[in-house]
Amino acid sequence: MSSDARGLARASKLSLSAGQRVGVIVGLLCVVFAFLPFIVTKPYLLHMGVLLFLAVIQGQAWNILGGYAGQHSLGHAAYFGLGAYTTVMLMEQNQISPFVGIWLGVLVAAVVSLLIGAITFRLRGPYFVLASISVAEIIRLLALHFKDVTRGAEGFLISSVPALHLGPIEIDFLGKRPFYFAAFTVALITTALSYAVQQSKIGYYLQAVREDQDAAHSIGINLQAYKCLALVISAGFTAWAGGFYALFVKFIDPDTVFGLDVSVQILLTCIVGGIGTLLGPALGALVLVPLSEILRNPKGLVQLGLVASDSSIVRVIEERFSNAHSFVYGLLLVVIILFAPEGLFGVLKRLLGPARVRQS
Amino acid sequence: MQMFFQAAISGILMGGVYALIGIGLTLIFGVMQVINFAHGDLVMVGMYAAWLLFSHFHVDPFVSILLTGPLLFLLGALLQRAFIQRVIGEAQENQILLTIGLGLLLSNTAMLAFTSDYQLLTTSYSSKAFTVAGVSMSVPLFFAFIVTMLVALALYLFLMKTDTGAAIRATAQDREAAQLMGINVTRMSVLAFGLGSSLAGIAGALIAPTYYIFPQVGHAFTLKSFVIVVLGGMGSVVGASIGGVLIGMVESLAALYLASGLKEAVVFALFLLLLLFRPSGLLGRART
Amino acid sequence: MTALLELKQVSKTFGGLRANWNVSFSVEPRSITGLIGPNGAGKTTLFSCITGYYPPSSGEVVFQGQRINGRRPDEVCRLGMVRTWQKVRPMAKLTVLDNVMVGALLRTWSLKRARALAEEQLHAVGLHKQASMLAGALPIGQRKRLEVARALATQPALLLLDEVMGGLNPAESNEMIALILTLRTRGITLVVIEHDVRAIMAVSDRVLVLNSGELLADGAPREVAENPAVVEAYLGKRVES
Repeated sequence: MSSDARGLARASKLSLSAGQRVGVIVGLLCVVFAFLPFIVTKPYLLHMGVLLFLAVIQGQAWNILGGYAGQHSLGHAAYFGLGAYTTVMLMEQNQISPFVGIWLGVLVAAVVSLLIGAITFRLRGPYFVLASISVAEIIRLLALHFKDVTRGAEGFLISSVPALHLGPIEIDFLGKRPFYFAAFTVALITTALSYAVQQSKIGYYLQAVREDQDAAHSIGINLQAYKCLALVISAGFTAWAGGFYALFVKFIDPDTVFGLDVSVQILLTCIVGGIGTLLGPALGALVLVPLSEILRNPKGLVQLGLVASDSSIVRVIEERFSNAHSFVYGLLLVVIILFAPEGLFGVLKRLLGPARVRQS
Repeated sequence: MQMFFQAAISGILMGGVYALIGIGLTLIFGVMQVINFAHGDLVMVGMYAAWLLFSHFHVDPFVSILLTGPLLFLLGALLQRAFIQRVIGEAQENQILLTIGLGLLLSNTAMLAFTSDYQLLTTSYSSKAFTVAGVSMSVPLFFAFIVTMLVALALYLFLMKTDTGAAIRATAQDREAAQLMGINVTRMSVLAFGLGSSLAGIAGALIAPTYYIFPQVGHAFTLKSFVIVVLGGMGSVVGASIGGVLIGMVESLAALYLASGLKEAVVFALFLLLLLFRPSGLLGRART
Repeated sequence: MTALLELKQVSKTFGGLRANWNVSFSVEPRSITGLIGPNGAGKTTLFSCITGYYPPSSGEVVFQGQRINGRRPDEVCRLGMVRTWQKVRPMAKLTVLDNVMVGALLRTWSLKRARALAEEQLHAVGLHKQASMLAGALPIGQRKRLEVARALATQPALLLLDEVMGGLNPAESNEMIALILTLRTRGITLVVIEHDVRAIMAVSDRVLVLNSGELLADGAPREVAENPAVVEAYLGKRVES
């Protein structure tokens, strides 16, 4: 082909932008994920899958507030924990079905978030970050303290999740599969929601707030209203993930669900993947969840059949690198901020982008 | 009433150490406008350094500050030069994230090196106390308080009476103007971060005899030191000193009158109120 | 004709500092009012007071017959008064088109309509070729024009321009003056803060002079130029008209 024709081919509508190419890859992965439980039977893989989808949900939720609106909350554990505890407490103490309880958890978190927003959104930049941490810590300490209500550091153990009756259909939540598909569906939903927000007036307004709050204010954007909107959506989905996590893992305690670790992980998912982008949380989760799981639980590699049970890899990880996932988090954070602040999405775009003649 | 004084005094003593940590942070923020989320972890490094020197070489923690101080200074200067210098001038969000990452690296290196077991540094005087007017004071904490006040005084004199100190203060007040006057602001930043880290490390060494030492111990200090810095006014050394002592007292009294498990929650609640109603703190200038 | 904007003895104090003191004037619809004064005279503060960044310490701001003291900036914008910024505020990571769309979205929820409106404004200020560039990549002259386009997209009745010619070369300044004049033909009323006195004199129907927070003069450009108090305020420089 002559260079002219090649140029025409590149410029034609059939060629995809770099970002769209990444999207295609993620889309293909989604198809794989959709059929995975039918191909593979190892429960640990499905277990990781659920954790992966939960990370995507939390990431997409955070991204709306932190990525689009630029309000970097480091206190999202508050909503995660509220969702978890509401669901579990209502189930164990009030016999409310967890399928209802999880939505009540969302409601609780949404209401609390409005309160938190009213207080903290007056603050800007690092002050907002610090305030968000403080709020989450206060809630964690309260949960630890009021043992009569929350069982304190002992935590909450639930036995099993009852079956879900949807008309004539009965879905029982005994194995990993139902959790897998439920989490997968909601991960898709939150991603779709993020897309809808991005492509709407709300998305434009939130990004304007991120770029320059005073300028946004001066061209007609009600800062408090839009920030709170982003927060409520964000808190709601984070709480759903918390409730789901509680039902899946069946044990929660204040440090696990209200801890700063949770907030940092959510933030990290978005930063590593690409903050403020649609696919960022997905990419971040794809890297971080398997990594942290293997480091936390190297025997999982055996369960997956990837290594033999007496393999030295498992031994090395167990002896030297147990809990090294946190170290890797720190490393990733430093590397990304210094060398690739646009995250994986940015890196992939650069790798996959067509070579184009730039017009200035 | 007696219990009130007891709690207040214990709080003030602890507050002295908090003050030192806060002074370090306010110095860093004053000069570089960097929110150092790794600050508490620097305290942790100081604690471990003191513990290592004590358990391997029998160096008393109070004596060890002669080593921990310079050591942490070097660590801080290194962190600044290698990492933080690269993001000065960028969005503050990125700076925060970077220091969070550095903090994670610090605390997890400690975990990899020493495991997450709680270590204890028990000296002959670790659990000794003396009584004055019916109030019992922990010996190590009392001496820690004296030392922190001396160190704070030394720092104050350094900042006020030396040329380098003046240069640091100039950079804190107006970075651009300082640069125009020929001050090497990058060097001032390295100095400030080194000094700030040094103070954090010294504080760590001073409380090592009275605290459990474990990799995550720094996190509680990070957030508290932010409260202190905001309370005293960002960039104010005197403010941080007063703030530290106040926070120590508040914490101690909260433990007495409410519950030990809620004392930190009270400090954080105070923080929120402060951020909302008086963000410039007691002595700081509001930065626009 | 009822005034579009009326200030009645507006004062703004910060602690002990009198930024604005007893300022009263009115702005007629479809007019161009210049606002000049030495640095620190309180001009930008006045804009901030009028548009709701902080409420006046005393006095009244009346817009289209409504008292708007204490209304939020976004409310003021919705009512039809919008300001630009002395130190330009492009939303750097958004494209030029997206920047203006944010303004246009004030009046519509439809992205399609907002895009059409935004493209119109970009054409009006001459930035349509840069539509897909990131705002952060624009040079200062184009940033100033972007700021105007974004403000125009909110379909204001009254546009407050704050030193929109600062940092422009003579050719760009002339273009900006021409733009300001076309805005008047579109029915938009303007209040323009400017240091470029020549430009102000060329463009304004009326000129207000602020000094140390107080209104020193209020009249036709020529009158104001010959006002001895005004000349003195500018440190003895003769004000060319």
